Amino acid sequence: MSATTSDASAATPTSAPSAGRKDLRRSLREAERRAEQLHSGRSGYWFLLPFAVVFLVFLVWPIIYGIWMSLTDRTLIGTDPGFVGLANFIEAFGDAQVWQTLWQTVLFTVGSTIPLVLVAMVMALLVFTGLPGQWLWRFAFFASFLLPVAVVTQVWAWMYQPDLGLFNTWLGALGLDPVGWLTDPNWAMIAIIAATVWWTVGFNFLLYLAALQAIPEHLYEAAAIDGAGAWRRLFSITIPQLGRTTWLVLALQILASLKVFDQIYLLTGGGPNGATRSILLYIYDTGFVNYRLGYASAISYIFFALIVILSLTRFFGGRKEA
Amino acid sequence: MTVNSALRTPGSGARGPSRRSVLQGALGAGTLLSAGALSSCAGSVASATSSGTLVRIWDLLGGSDGEIMGEIVDGVREELPHVTIDRTTLAWGAPYYTKLAMASTGGRAPEAAVLHLSRLIGYAPGGLLEPFDLDLLRQVGITESDFPAALWERALFQDELYALPLDTHPFITFYNPAIAEPAGLLNPDGTLVEIDNPDSLLDAGRAMAEVTGAEGFSYGYLSDPAQPWRMFWGFYGQTGADFDFTPGQQVGFDDGAAVEVLEFMQSMLDGTVAASNSDYGGAIANFSTEQTGLIFSGVWEKTSLQGAIPDLGGATVPIIFGTPTAFGDSHSYVLPRQLVANPERREATYEVLGAILKRGLRWADAGHIPSLVPVVESPEYQDLVPQRNYAQAADWIFLDPPVWFAGSGSDFQNRMSQAMQTALQGLGTAQDAVDMMIGEMNTFLETPAPA
Repeated sequence: MSATTSDASAATPTSAPSAGRKDLRRSLREAERRAEQLHSGRSGYWFLLPFAVVFLVFLVWPIIYGIWMSLTDRTLIGTDPGFVGLANFIEAFGDAQVWQTLWQTVLFTVGSTIPLVLVAMVMALLVFTGLPGQWLWRFAFFASFLLPVAVVTQVWAWMYQPDLGLFNTWLGALGLDPVGWLTDPNWAMIAIIAATVWWTVGFNFLLYLAALQAIPEHLYEAAAIDGAGAWRRLFSITIPQLGRTTWLVLALQILASLKVFDQIYLLTGGGPNGATRSILLYIYDTGFVNYRLGYASAISYIFFALIVILSLTRFFGGRKEA
Repeated sequence: MTVNSALRTPGSGARGPSRRSVLQGALGAGTLLSAGALSSCAGSVASATSSGTLVRIWDLLGGSDGEIMGEIVDGVREELPHVTIDRTTLAWGAPYYTKLAMASTGGRAPEAAVLHLSRLIGYAPGGLLEPFDLDLLRQVGITESDFPAALWERALFQDELYALPLDTHPFITFYNPAIAEPAGLLNPDGTLVEIDNPDSLLDAGRAMAEVTGAEGFSYGYLSDPAQPWRMFWGFYGQTGADFDFTPGQQVGFDDGAAVEVLEFMQSMLDGTVAASNSDYGGAIANFSTEQTGLIFSGVWEKTSLQGAIPDLGGATVPIIFGTPTAFGDSHSYVLPRQLVANPERREATYEVLGAILKRGLRWADAGHIPSLVPVVESPEYQDLVPQRNYAQAADWIFLDPPVWFAGSGSDFQNRMSQAMQTALQGLGTAQDAVDMMIGEMNTFLETPAPA
């Protein structure tokens, strides 16, 4: 990415023809004037309209409506909701379940983000350093990302199956006791993280692979001439050059992991003993299973606020980085 | 597919697809899609325009019982040609109740829907349901005296009938006579011997385990949102212990009886009497392949189990703690609230529901016990094996506590089941599990009711 933009900016000034400089200046002025007309005209708004309508109806309005709902005791089956002020928020801050599920969401996010960044980087490096059969590796590492979540959970539920599953069969062959992968509170979150890493690591892998291909070859040449070995080149050129991509992958991954829902819902339903219940699962259960929409909205806005704060710190942190 | 072939047309040349070829491809794909959509609609369009008053019914019968219900509805369609029945089967459990609640709140609900009777108390007070008109029911030949008294009682809310029970579907045992017989557990007439205390039940399991060479009983509970609760609550009912679930108050619950029941369940899951870590599917697989001789399961598994073991036997869960009870629930029809109710459709709905209930004998093939007493007492039903051997469970039916958050497919059953799981796996004590359950019960009771 950075390579292409610098190429483009380098190309523009030199490509101007040396002859007919006055003509060029005149046509540039002409273009500027036309652009100004376009800016001052109203016609642009019409092009914005389709998007703006969708944006207002499906994003802005639900957000506003949700805030209103979080201030009421609205339920899915009750008829007239009443205004309760901040009662839902006060209840949420004192609700042990909110804190427990939030903590578990953080555990999942930390536990999944680290392998999802490191494993993806290692896989991309392995493929990039020239294993034979590049396309096969690229395809194999990315393929699992293409699977729908229902397929992934089905496959992993069978591998985790306590009696007949692949993992316990292996453990048995090694003479070890079987593990309740999805049923033992100490293992369930680890099992979910393992399935998630297998499923989604391909996307980060692809981002890293693209970034690796964008590192200019001449850096390596220069380093080789200076006598740098392969490891030196890896730590002094490749990994620093991947820095921006790592920040991007990290940010996308944290946001994605915080929003975990599907694979937990399908594999454990939040069990055993709520050990894998993420906050979104709790919001879903509160709103749609126990019908307390107002309270569920309040919890989701608290969570939303946390994500916004996190994104902003990343935004400002990222700006300094750049 | 069409787009791909467009990409490969020679006209597009080496520069990749031309705009025209892509547009052609997209157009082609669009045509295909809309043709597919039209043909898939064709069925419902045909049935909607066929004739007569439309009656829409939602249910959650997705298993083999759903197929039998399909046949029953086909029969009703023939019997009532002036009515068009539109039956929709939705996924079982919490999502079904979410959809039903939302449809009723919006006032655009179907004319009738299946509801677990244990969920009625969560629905009726919110104004989501309309009561049945007993006169209209009488006109279609359904009266109070046709139902077991306890079932009718539970279908009432503020003295009005809000649910029309179709069946009761208890949690029972199925057994394999080829294993029960050599284990010495069969009466001469092929029924299971009476087992009336916990130790005899464990002995029976060991006897069966000797025959199978593996385990005696199948009981799948791991990661299941209901199975632990089904067995626990049934046995708790057998102890005759009191319980009191009043919203806003601490739960009234007999901690000693609960621990006794849970400890018994633990002793059963010892790897000989029953496997210590079996899930729902695994339990069925083990029973079907004769690794075990008896399975604790719901009547709804009858059809699929009979496929594996044709001379399948059935019995109520043994009464080992004294009081005859059978954990279970009842599929009942309710009339969800509609903003604009059509009297003609409402009347047709009564006709349809009456006709479905009267086909209870066919419904019994699905394993469920028909709600109408005359059907159960008929000679035809009394010929059905194994149904007749567990039909008594209908009189002992023991539902979830009558409180808004309980019932089939509820978060409550899921939480209770999860709380028990650690103890059932032998990873924790029964007392700890019961303490956790009581804690969860109190959390639910403190939560404001949605209606």
